[in-house]
Amino acid sequence: MRKTLPVLAIAVLLAAAGCAGSEAGANGPIVVGSVNALSGAATFPEASAAAKAVFDAANAAGGVNGRKIEYKAIDDKGDPAAAAAAAREVVGGDQAVALVGSSSLIECEINEKYYEQQKILSMPGIGVDPACFSSPNIAPVNVGPFHDMTLTLLYGSEVLKQDDICALLEIAGNTLPAYRAAIDEWTKITGKKLKYVDSTVPYGGSDYTPYIVKARAAGCKAITVNPVEPDSIGQLKAAQAQGWTDVTWLLLTSVYSENYAKAISNAGAGVYVPAEFYPFTDAAAPANKDWRELMAKSRIPLTSFSQGGYLAAKYFLAVLRGMKGDITREAVSKALREMKPISDPMVGTPYVFGPAQAHHDNTAGWPIKLATGAGKWELAAQDWLRIPKQ
Amino acid sequence: MRLAEKLVPFAVAAAAVAVGYALSVGLAGYFVYLGVSAVVAAIALLGLGVVTGTAGMISLCQLTFAAVGAFVVSACNVAGVPGGFGTWLLLGGLAAAVAGVLVGLPALRLRGITLAVVTLGLAAAADLTLVQIQFPGATEGLSVERPEAFSDDRSYFLFAVLVLVACGLVVHFLRRGRWGSSWHLVAFSERGTAAVGAGVRTSKLTAFAVSAALGGISGGLLTGQVGLAFPASFTAIQSLALYVLAIMSGAHLIDMAVFGALLWVAVPELLKRWGVPQDWGFVVFGVLGVQALTGRGNLGTAVRALWYRRRSGRTAGVGLTEPVPDVEPLPPGDPVLEVRGLSVSFGHVTALSEVDITVPEHGILGVIGPNGAGKSTLVDAISGFLPRATGTATLGGRPLTGSPARRARAGLRRTFQQDRVPPGLTVGAYVRFVARRRLTGRELDGALAFFGCPAARTPLSRVDAGARRLVEVVGHLLARPRVLLLDEPAAGLPHEEHVAFGRRLRQVPARFGVSVLLIEHDLDLVRSVCDTLTVLDFGRVLASGPQADVLADPAVLKAYMGETELL
Amino acid sequence: MLQGALAGLAAGGLYAVLAVCLTLMSRLVRVVNFAQSATGMFGCYVAVFLAVHLAVPSWLATLAGILLGGALSAVLGWIVSTWLAEADTGTRSATTVAVLLLLISLAFILFGNKPQPFHPLLAGPAFTIGGVVVSQVTVLTVALAILVALGCRAVLARTALGVRLRALSERPTTAELLGIPARPLSVGVWTATGVIATLAVSIVAPSQSNDPTSLAMLVVPAAAAALLGGFRRLDLAVLGGLVLGMAQGAVAQSDRLSVLRYFLPFLVIVALLLWTQRKEVWDAAR
Repeated sequence: MRKTLPVLAIAVLLAAAGCAGSEAGANGPIVVGSVNALSGAATFPEASAAAKAVFDAANAAGGVNGRKIEYKAIDDKGDPAAAAAAAREVVGGDQAVALVGSSSLIECEINEKYYEQQKILSMPGIGVDPACFSSPNIAPVNVGPFHDMTLTLLYGSEVLKQDDICALLEIAGNTLPAYRAAIDEWTKITGKKLKYVDSTVPYGGSDYTPYIVKARAAGCKAITVNPVEPDSIGQLKAAQAQGWTDVTWLLLTSVYSENYAKAISNAGAGVYVPAEFYPFTDAAAPANKDWRELMAKSRIPLTSFSQGGYLAAKYFLAVLRGMKGDITREAVSKALREMKPISDPMVGTPYVFGPAQAHHDNTAGWPIKLATGAGKWELAAQDWLRIPKQ
Repeated sequence: MRLAEKLVPFAVAAAAVAVGYALSVGLAGYFVYLGVSAVVAAIALLGLGVVTGTAGMISLCQLTFAAVGAFVVSACNVAGVPGGFGTWLLLGGLAAAVAGVLVGLPALRLRGITLAVVTLGLAAAADLTLVQIQFPGATEGLSVERPEAFSDDRSYFLFAVLVLVACGLVVHFLRRGRWGSSWHLVAFSERGTAAVGAGVRTSKLTAFAVSAALGGISGGLLTGQVGLAFPASFTAIQSLALYVLAIMSGAHLIDMAVFGALLWVAVPELLKRWGVPQDWGFVVFGVLGVQALTGRGNLGTAVRALWYRRRSGRTAGVGLTEPVPDVEPLPPGDPVLEVRGLSVSFGHVTALSEVDITVPEHGILGVIGPNGAGKSTLVDAISGFLPRATGTATLGGRPLTGSPARRARAGLRRTFQQDRVPPGLTVGAYVRFVARRRLTGRELDGALAFFGCPAARTPLSRVDAGARRLVEVVGHLLARPRVLLLDEPAAGLPHEEHVAFGRRLRQVPARFGVSVLLIEHDLDLVRSVCDTLTVLDFGRVLASGPQADVLADPAVLKAYMGETELL
Repeated sequence: MLQGALAGLAAGGLYAVLAVCLTLMSRLVRVVNFAQSATGMFGCYVAVFLAVHLAVPSWLATLAGILLGGALSAVLGWIVSTWLAEADTGTRSATTVAVLLLLISLAFILFGNKPQPFHPLLAGPAFTIGGVVVSQVTVLTVALAILVALGCRAVLARTALGVRLRALSERPTTAELLGIPARPLSVGVWTATGVIATLAVSIVAPSQSNDPTSLAMLVVPAAAAALLGGFRRLDLAVLGGLVLGMAQGAVAQSDRLSVLRYFLPFLVIVALLLWTQRKEVWDAAR
């Protein structure tokens, strides 16, 4: 063993040194990248997988103007340094023309400046952090957690007629002001106020009973949370253990998955979510037909994330096909800036990149619900719920 | 030769900077960026090398200190503190060191595993807290400004390499200095540390603070690299992984810390290229860590072993064969160490009862007695390791009280029956540390040669047990204490060397100006060295006085001589 | 505050069980097992995997998971008592740190990071005191903690096995000379604590949010609780766990103190250490 270790060491060094960047020629494939959370504590692999499926299908049909698309999905491990390195790998090293279908918890915030500097545009499939919605070079295709929170509150107060709504906010990083803004927007529209906001709820905590007890004691009848799936499950279980079964949960698309529905045995008075894309659990819907077929063919899980990645790639292809002349980063950026809005039945708001300094224009969600004992998500409305224009 | 030796670290540093420059120019942009990550990890690992490798403690919150550094750098950036990034980095390191001391103060009163529990608790708490509170400037997305001359990725890599080289030099010289010796010593034996008058707590605290400072600098550097500080960079899991990496790579060696950092970056990168899920990286680290800990050796020792095997595998021993010039012994003077009514009991067992002992100036007092008579307990009690002992002791007329370290500084030194000499140092570094005063090279070499010890440059790990005991004696003698308590110093020597050793011991008062209390089993040695004797039996003084009188005492003969036949 | 304190009792019960395991390990096999709750977590996840993907009945799956937790712990114990038989507590414990890291990563690889549909063994409230609900899980974990502590104490004090175990921990060399089989007994202790820890985590995990990291990191508050008993006394370990859980629950009721909640285990550890180690003690007997 003593001898094998140094040998291993040398092997690692050689292997690391041997890896050099690849060159992309002018007539070679069009390189498109994305930065994704593919490993670590929270992962979203479906968005980039779905985008890849779209591009693969396009390549199989002859590519774009005869050129193939080479799609590179890089892992950021949820680690800031890795996220920055990933952007440099795909933007600086592989000379990508644009970033499409990224989904990461931190990527926008870390790389927005770099993208501006490199004059590259990014169309994340799922944007999460606030910088995704406030940068001139980033325009996600999804609604985003902040508008989603306004939507879920609107649904709770206006449709479900809940008056005593409390917010339990899991704050990671600098998201608190953005959530506060989302709540303020709801207040502005409805003139209503939350019973209380607890922004100290831990992200990734183990036992949420104390927070649930506190909310119950304060007289909350409905609770809005911005959870990741395991946390939400913990919160619902804590409420169940406390015998609090008449509470309404107003949650976000982050919990909209089949896994989640199976893991919940008691959903109180119901879990309501404004789905950012047309609900994928509605199997018969024509809106999702093309997406569903492609995902089934490529064996990608049916989730909101794969919807986002799919749409981002689809929009991007449409813009690319409308371009004339050489496809370079500069040309692609220009085309995206000048594109006409594209409508799609999977979303309630047409998508446009455009010249704006911030991109936070997707304002429609489709309400769905998870009832106690149902074990699956059901539609809760017949049309998109929209945030009224101010 | 000596000058050349002093220049070696600087030559290595210059070479490292040159390599850094070549890499910053030659590598592809993406690899340059990865390189910065490697440098950041290397600095954190250097810190862990100090605290876990050299000082032998378990620290599981290295990235928490990195977060402190990152916080300070972000705050300085937001507040626009003058001095620029370099100054902020130093401030970050300082703040982390302060945090380290604050955490360490309570934790370091304890030993071993409790520090691990405390640091893991801190890492877990900081992990959760950092997610909720924000780093300064994070909300506004205010990027940390890199130093002006090093603003793009390539030159920032060079900057990072410069910082790493500076940290490496600092660690190198700290480790060669007093602090470093005390770290080695405290890792090996706390008693040994206290016996040379160095504070055990101080030694641990300095190690912890240096480690935390390096952690802080790495965190600050990371902030400059990414532009913003994120809690996700400083999770408890990553701290654990870094610790395991430090163990498996042997990060107490600077080159191995750098190599560990390359692994830290290369393993995930290779996994990515091979399409293997990234989580396997930590599994690999975990397995290699277990294998390193279960005694299969770490990378650092494996490489070093290959190197040394080529050089020389022989251990150095004692050479007492050369005759030494005679020195006229000084006549014993007034009592210098006086112990009155010393009693020690462990529970119901009385180990010492009303013991009186006097060591005259320039004299050598022998303390003999059968096994279990309380001889070593006597040394422990006088040197302060048994705070519950009763009775009084005076050294040169002043009361001798307080902790072992304090008594050592007051001029009372002792050696141990067991090996307390840390294998990580060279003979010279150890003796200089034990002496606690500036020694000339001639003084050092002369004293070592007098006792037939290996040369000052020899690593202690290649010195045999008997010689190590003598090196310990030499160190304490060069400290010029008033009194030195020797607990069976000849135990590791071959019997035929005892006489030669005794002849030298006899000259100690005249040569070194030190009075000696000698505990010894070998009666021949005692006879040849000691002017006066005290005989202990069952914790009581059986007889005391000039050698001839005591050895002729019938009670001594009865109690003691039966046993000597066994020797 | 009382409501909060009672709400924290479920967590406190879990801390207490784990603290008892840590104390046993420290006393009997000279190791602070940082992977204690990680083995429990792993066993639990395997149980869910069996139940979901292989359609094993949930009671059987849970049982298999608990046995696997014990087996994992036994393997670790075998490694430690074989290769680190002479090593000090620090080195032995450091090994478990590496194992903790390994188990968390392995859980991510094998089971993913999506929430697992744990089948709750128990759910819902047990009874109500003065308007405060105490859940069934709380009752069970607290009872389990007390039972395990009492059981271990009885075994150690009253049975021949206990005498051998104590002999082994206090006078290992003498015990070996007397022909007490050191390694099998040590591995036995590892196995037993592995089983107990997995059982406790199996009870609590379905009632909480459960990702591998947060379950594995339960060892931190558990270690704080064990420290109250100085890693020696079982009764104080149980008490420490319960008090710590209740204190965390109570503190969570106040927005301003919420950050304190995370630091409670850490602060408890530091305060206890300062108190218990007032006097200078040396690393070796002589």
